[in-house]
Parts: sequence; structure tokens; C-alpha cells
Amino acid sequence: MSVAEWLLILSVLAGFYMAWNIGANDVANAMGTSVGSGALTLRQAILVAAVFEFGGAVLVGTHVTDTIRSGILETAMFEPSGPLGPDGPLLLALGMFSALLAAGIWLQIATMWGLPVSTTHSIVGAVTGFGLIALGVEAINWGQLGTIVMSWVVSPLTGALIGGAMFAFIRRAILQNDDPAAAAKRIGPFLVALVAVILVLSFIYKALKNVVSEPPFILVVVSALGIGVLAAVATAAFLHSHQPKNLTPNAYVERVFGWLQITTAIFVAFAHGANDVANAVGPLAAVVNIVTSGLTELPDQVPVPLWVLGLGGVGIVIGLATWGYKVIATIGKQITEMTPSRGFSAEFGAATTVLIASRMGLPISTTHTLVGSVIGVGLAQGMAALNLGVIGKIVNSWLATIPAAAIIAMILFVALRAVFI
Amino acid sequence: MRSIFGIIAKSPFTSINQHTKKVHETATQLRPLIECFTEGDWNGTMKITRQIYKLEHQADQLKDEIRDHLPRSLFLPVDRGDLLLFLREQDAIADSVEDVGDVLNMRETPTPAELKEPVFALVDQVIRTSETWYSAANELTTLQAATFTGNEAERVLKVVDDVNHQEWEADKLEAAALKSLFTFEEEIGAVSVMLWMKIIATTGRVADHAENTADLLRLMIARA
Repeated sequence: MSVAEWLLILSVLAGFYMAWNIGANDVANAMGTSVGSGALTLRQAILVAAVFEFGGAVLVGTHVTDTIRSGILETAMFEPSGPLGPDGPLLLALGMFSALLAAGIWLQIATMWGLPVSTTHSIVGAVTGFGLIALGVEAINWGQLGTIVMSWVVSPLTGALIGGAMFAFIRRAILQNDDPAAAAKRIGPFLVALVAVILVLSFIYKALKNVVSEPPFILVVVSALGIGVLAAVATAAFLHSHQPKNLTPNAYVERVFGWLQITTAIFVAFAHGANDVANAVGPLAAVVNIVTSGLTELPDQVPVPLWVLGLGGVGIVIGLATWGYKVIATIGKQITEMTPSRGFSAEFGAATTVLIASRMGLPISTTHTLVGSVIGVGLAQGMAALNLGVIGKIVNSWLATIPAAAIIAMILFVALRAVFI
Repeated sequence: MRSIFGIIAKSPFTSINQHTKKVHETATQLRPLIECFTEGDWNGTMKITRQIYKLEHQADQLKDEIRDHLPRSLFLPVDRGDLLLFLREQDAIADSVEDVGDVLNMRETPTPAELKEPVFALVDQVIRTSETWYSAANELTTLQAATFTGNEAERVLKVVDDVNHQEWEADKLEAAALKSLFTFEEEIGAVSVMLWMKIIATTGRVADHAENTADLLRLMIARA
């Protein structure tokens, strides 16, 4: 087999391993809040995650994938005419493979040590690390990298803001209402419509773009609103026909949010798939691109092949099926303090933030954003107790991940360069 | 596992609710205890006091455990100081019941027949206050779920008002019992009178602490 074929196979394996890792750990963090509140059973959570993670990955996964494969590095410097000479494209492919492997190794270590690190931070750190050793500081697109790192600070804050605002609204409009049960029944359909509209808007552009080059604004708005109205009517009908008896008003409110939380669970799974699949398939897409053009030139930006996104989606689902479900069960038992009204707010805040970031092509950490949202709900007086000491631990792992993943990628890249060139 | 949900701490409200239930169980011993004593059943008095010791000790253990799990880094929907004070006052209810037991076991003191009526009027009023405190304090977890506002908060505030009123009634009955006590100073002697003063005052303190605990609920609701 040729070098190109080897590189392709190894990259597919490494990409698949990263996707497996995302399914095994990150998905569990995203779905845990739904299982903990009792909104979904373990089986339902796995089903929702499998379908909508895959959907998010394949339908909306390309924005962030493009950023990872060609946004962080000044890829033009790897042209055969560039400072690295004719080996440039091969070195870029080797480097992307090193980055994938390095991120996977670091995640394995973090999982063993129980460190709350992010898949996204690992892959961005690893790509940056190999770029630095291959070409020095000029290889890095510092502006883009700066934006990404800023987004890591901004996204938990945004999650906190949206999640906190959502819970503050629920508190005011429902919990403080004279008749909380009736208020929940009245407002519930609107909340579902809101989730549906955001979800539909997020991928309608993408899905329609393949059919009509630029979907007319009116068509987008009408279809999103139409689906929103449909969702609201369906929810209202459901709440009307499901009226459990012998519940206190508060218990009824939580029961309603238990149903509503199914929509935010879908929302989170979709957003997570859309954002995080890039961590696995971004570098892989770069390798596939270079290898298919014969390693002799740097091809123009072509669309991310659908099979690459599909591979990422399948990897996530297999990670979920082989390991992730155990983690979901454990997390679900840990966070029973999170009742459905809180879970709904936190998931809404996180998923909205993640989808906005995805549209902007920003690889953010879904789990860190979700932590931000949970804190936001806490600040709106929703949580019984938050252990703020954990924030320090998260920030530390955050700071350790960039250099750790970068250094592992550097070592792997230097070794591979010595072998192949 | 790389879980990040260590951020969600165990609810102190659930643990405090266990303490509430234990203190209430201690308080229910008050009437049988004083009944035994007024009937001259010293053995029974001793037995119930031992039972109170056991319950009070269990309440103490719960209290310490809760305090150990309330570090400053914990973010709570209510003021941490209010919550700790609530716990202290609630624990003092059980302590006061224990104090009553201690006083009753000091000396075999006779009860004049006509003293029983004002004493049991006081005891029953103290029990009523304590039962009302319990129905308010037992709502703590539900209050938290309702974020200390809305209908639920209104409902608890009404019960807190009831506690305040009942404690005031208990105060009046305490004064009446003391007044009645001094009509027996010839009959039972100064030492017995002194002891009875202590019994009546300590019994009244159970209601005082029930009121203080309920008032802290009011404070938590007011600050939410």
C-alpha cells in the first residue's frame, strides 16, 4: 500500500476513535441532565442521542468542521510552492493525523484521571501544536485562534445568561403565578414552539441550500413559523389530554416540564452533534482532501465529504452504545437535584448557545457551556446548591488541555515526519 | 469518566428536612414525659428522658453532618447564614426538650393536683406551637422547589404567622402557670417551687425556639 493509502486508513481510524470518545463521554454530559431529572429514561436518552447527534453531525456539522480543518492554520503555507517545498501537502496531512491521535491520547489520559476536559479544546490545542512545530508561529492563524479561545470564555457566559433568563421567566410566569399548574399548561406550548423554531432555523438554511442555492427568506421564515405553530398546537393538545390527578400544583408543573424537556434534550443532542462532530472529522476531512488529490498539491476547499461526516456521526453513536450509556446512567444518578424545569432551562441555554456558535463556525465546548447554563439557573435561584469549587477544577483542566494536547501532537508529528520523509 | 456535574452539589435542604423530622420526633416526647413526672412515675420519667437523649443525639449528628457539607464555596438560593441559623434554632428545640427531661430527673418533686391544669394548658400550647412549626419547616424542600416565592411561600408565611401567634399564647400560659405555682408555696415548699419554676420556664423555651426557627423561614422567603 502507498503512503497515501496508509495515511488515509490510519486517519479514518483515529477520526473514528475521536468520534467514539465524543459518544462515550461528551454525549453523556449532554444527555445526563435529561436522565437525572427523570424526563427521559436511559433507553429513551440513548435513542434521542443516537438519532439527533447523527442528524446534527450530518446536517449542520460542516461549519465547524471547516474551521478545524482550515481555519486555525494558515494552510496556504503548506502549498508545494511554500516554505516546506513539495512535501508541504504531505506534512499537513501527517500533522492533521498527529493532531487527531494526540487529542485522542490526551482524552484517554483525562478520562483515566477523571479530569473534566473538553474534546474541542483538545483538538484545537493539538492542531495548533503541530502547526507550531511544522512552521513556527507564522503557521497559526492567530486572529481565528484568538476568536476561538475568546468563544470558550464567552460561550459559558452566554449559556448562563440564556439559561438563567429562561429560568427567571419560568419562575416569574409560572412558579409565582396564582395558579402555577394552569400557567404551565398555557405557557408550555409556546416554549416548545420556541425550541422548534430555533431548531428548524438552524438547519433549514443548510438543508435547503443543497436544493435551492439561496433559499428565499420568506420561505425560511414561513416554514420555521409553520413548524413552530404545529409544535405548539400538538403540545397544547397533549397537555389537554394528559392531566394527571392528585398532584400538587408544583408537582404538576414539574411533570409538564418533564414532557417539555424532551424537546430540549433533542435540541441539545442536535446542537452537540453539529458542533462536536467537527472535533473528530475536521482533521480527517483535511487528510481525505489532500490524499485524494495525490499528496502533490493542496486542493482548493471542497465541501466536506458526506461520508466523512457520516463516519463521525456513526462513531458518536457507537461510542454511546458501547460506553456512553454507562456514563449517562452514572451522571443521571448524580444529578437528581436537577428537576425538569431547571433541566429545561439549562439545556435550552446551552443548546441555543452551541447552535449559534456552530453557525459562526466556532468550535466551543458543549459541556462547559452546559455547566455555564446550570450556574445561570442557579443564579436565578433554581438550584438547591452549586459547588462552585468545581469551576476552578474545570478552568485548570481547560488551561492544561491546550499545552498538553499541543505537546503530544508535536511529539507525534516529529516522529511521523522522521518516518515518512 | 470526565463528568463535569460535580458542580451540582447534594441539596442541603433535603438533609435539613431529615433534621426537622428528627427534632419533631423529639418534641412529641414532651407530653408523655411531663405526664409521667406529674403522676410521680420516676421510672417512666427516666425512660422517656433516655429516649429523648437518643433522639436529640441523632438530631445533633444530622446537624453536624449538614454543617460539614456547607462550605463557603457552595452557592445557595438562600443566605448561608440564615440557613445555618435556621439549623441552630431548630436544633435548640430538641435541646430544650432534653433540658426539660434533665430538670425532671434532678429531684423527685411532687405535683399539687390543682397545678396540673395550668401546667398542661402550657404543655399543650407548646406542643401546638411545635406542631405548627413542624408543618412550616417540613415545607422547606417544597419551598426550595418553588424558589421561595409564589403561592407556596404565601402558604408557608401564613403558617409562620400561626407559629408566632401560638408562641404568644404559650407565653401567656407560662405566666399563668407561674402565678398559679406560687399559690402552692406553703404546700410543697420553696425547693419544689424553685424546681417547678425551672420546669415551666424550660418548657416555654421549646416554643420560643420553634418560633425563632419559623421566623428564619420568613427571613429566607423575604430575601428570595
